[in-house]
Amino acid sequence: MPARWVSALTRLALWLAVAVVLGGVFGAMSWWLSGALALYLAYTLNRLYHLDQVLQGRKGYGLAGTTGLWAELFGRVDSFQVKAKRRKKKYNQLLREIRESTGALHDAGIILNPDREIVWFNKAAVRLLGLDRSKDVGQRIDNLVRHPDFIAYLEAGGEPVTIPSPVDGEGRLAVQVIPYGSGQSLTIIQDVTRQTLLERSRRDFVANASHELRSPLTVISGYLDAMAEEPELQPQWGKPIGEMNRQTERMMALVAELIELSRLESSEGDAERELVKVPELLRILCQEYDASPDSPAVKLELESDAALLGNEAAVQSIFRNLLSNAVRFTASTGEVVISWRSDSDGAECTVSDTGIGIPEEAIPRVTERFFRVDPGRGRPAGGTGLGLAIVKHALQRHGGSLSISSTLGEGSSFTCRFPADRVVHRGG
Amino acid sequence: MEVEDLGHHISRRFNEELEQVRTSVLSMGGVVETQLERAMAALEGGDSELGLQVAHDDYKVNQREVSIDEECSRILATRGPTASDLRLIIAVIKTIADLERVGDEAEKIGVLAARLAAEERPSNNYREVRNLARHVQTMLHKALDAFARLDVESALEVVKSDDIVDDEYNALYRQGITFMMEDPRTISRVMDVTWVGRALERIGDHAKNICEYVIFMVHGKDIRYTGVAEMEREVRRAARESER
Repeated sequence: MPARWVSALTRLALWLAVAVVLGGVFGAMSWWLSGALALYLAYTLNRLYHLDQVLQGRKGYGLAGTTGLWAELFGRVDSFQVKAKRRKKKYNQLLREIRESTGALHDAGIILNPDREIVWFNKAAVRLLGLDRSKDVGQRIDNLVRHPDFIAYLEAGGEPVTIPSPVDGEGRLAVQVIPYGSGQSLTIIQDVTRQTLLERSRRDFVANASHELRSPLTVISGYLDAMAEEPELQPQWGKPIGEMNRQTERMMALVAELIELSRLESSEGDAERELVKVPELLRILCQEYDASPDSPAVKLELESDAALLGNEAAVQSIFRNLLSNAVRFTASTGEVVISWRSDSDGAECTVSDTGIGIPEEAIPRVTERFFRVDPGRGRPAGGTGLGLAIVKHALQRHGGSLSISSTLGEGSSFTCRFPADRVVHRGG
Repeated sequence: MEVEDLGHHISRRFNEELEQVRTSVLSMGGVVETQLERAMAALEGGDSELGLQVAHDDYKVNQREVSIDEECSRILATRGPTASDLRLIIAVIKTIADLERVGDEAEKIGVLAARLAAEERPSNNYREVRNLARHVQTMLHKALDAFARLDVESALEVVKSDDIVDDEYNALYRQGITFMMEDPRTISRVMDVTWVGRALERIGDHAKNICEYVIFMVHGKDIRYTGVAEMEREVRRAARESER
């Protein structure tokens, strides 16, 4: 038993002993005993009253005139209070620092509970979304940010969305919701107005410049054709004119692809849903490429007769670009295989070749426009550097994805997958 | 009625249903706002395809109105709401009717934008109409915010700002008449632009109505605006409506 309890019990015993002695001397023992106990009880209650006051944080109560067990108890309470105060101060400071640093963030942050009610938000959220500190905590976020795209994203998830700013009609905000804990989520909102404008002006520039280039090129190529067919042409001009013709054609192909790419980029939303008969399309394409003598053998493997719902021109452009790439980078002794198969998850077209291959570190970049695997490798005749960029964008519009695998020196394989909702299995 | 007061119901389910109805109204509002924004973008960009798309998408607004209406009837029939809950349901029913009309006006603007895309564009690219549209869009947005926050004061502000919209519409209208008198060849175009202005002015009125429903919904407890005669008149009107 701790010493303080021993001493407390000893005191009580002494106190009672005194009462017994006095009772023995003066008689009326029970009165003396009850008197002593009553006094002891009164003293204990008084200490408890003081303790209660101290615990409520009142000043002027506590240690004065106290010894033994009570003194220790008061000391302990006191040290607890000091510690708690210190801890509170520390947490307050930490909280203040967190609040200041999140307040300084440029991006808006909003914490939502499982019912999508706003729990907390920072200063940037006030600026970007027009939230109101005094009114909006506890409000559902979709009551205040009402754009249908945002609500669909909140409900279904998926890719982060860009919505017009609710505060300023011209502004654009990128929204991302990051779930954590048990159903809570952190919504991060970034002001992308400038990026959107830049992106748009870049797209507009490319589209306008390509259109402007097309008409002079048509004139040049027209005259070159006429000159090449001129019977009185002096022989030393034959070669230069032929070369000029080829280069003009290449430039026209480039401009045409730039226009196609900018059209793909600016068309919003998903592609149309026309019926595209893929097997027939592939057959025609293969014949086209298999016919020329310098190119490798092109083999078609049709494992499915499924058709696609999409934009025919775009689908054709996907397959044509993949096939022409494969043929271009494969020696005439090699082989290109194009296959078409479908299952319950969708359909896929794979174009594999036995060509020069792509180094692993370059694979993620090959769909960038004008990207060259190796600047020394040059661009084989006819390539514009835009083919795979077009494939990527056209696939995106169909909800599809492109995966590439390749071994340097042995060949590459490009697989485009189409989602199940775009695949039609023809009966019989 | 404060926002928290919605949270004190014996039946938790009932509570959730009321919140859900409120959120559906606001998400319908979001669709309507987007429709209006796209219609104006079609006008500004001379994009006839977008204009017709807006007109076509009006069915989405109508669908929402029908489904919220059904939900309200169901709540009225099964829960028998009283006092502030009843006011909420009544305000919702009225609000969605106004939102549906706003959707119709946006549809009109979409069709007009598609038609105007074929005409020669004025050099200022319909600046007056765009100004008017910006005011109206802000009004509609603030009206829906007031609905979400049950914020009577900002609702009153929106109600008051309707005068500006009316003035702008009148100016647009007069300017249109001048153009038509100067050059009769512009008549069809200016008429179409005036119709766009008219549709926008109507949207302003609907936004104002929504704010009046907000006042009605909140009214009955704790009226904090004093002094301004305008405010008192609006509140009195709200009181009259709630007695009806």
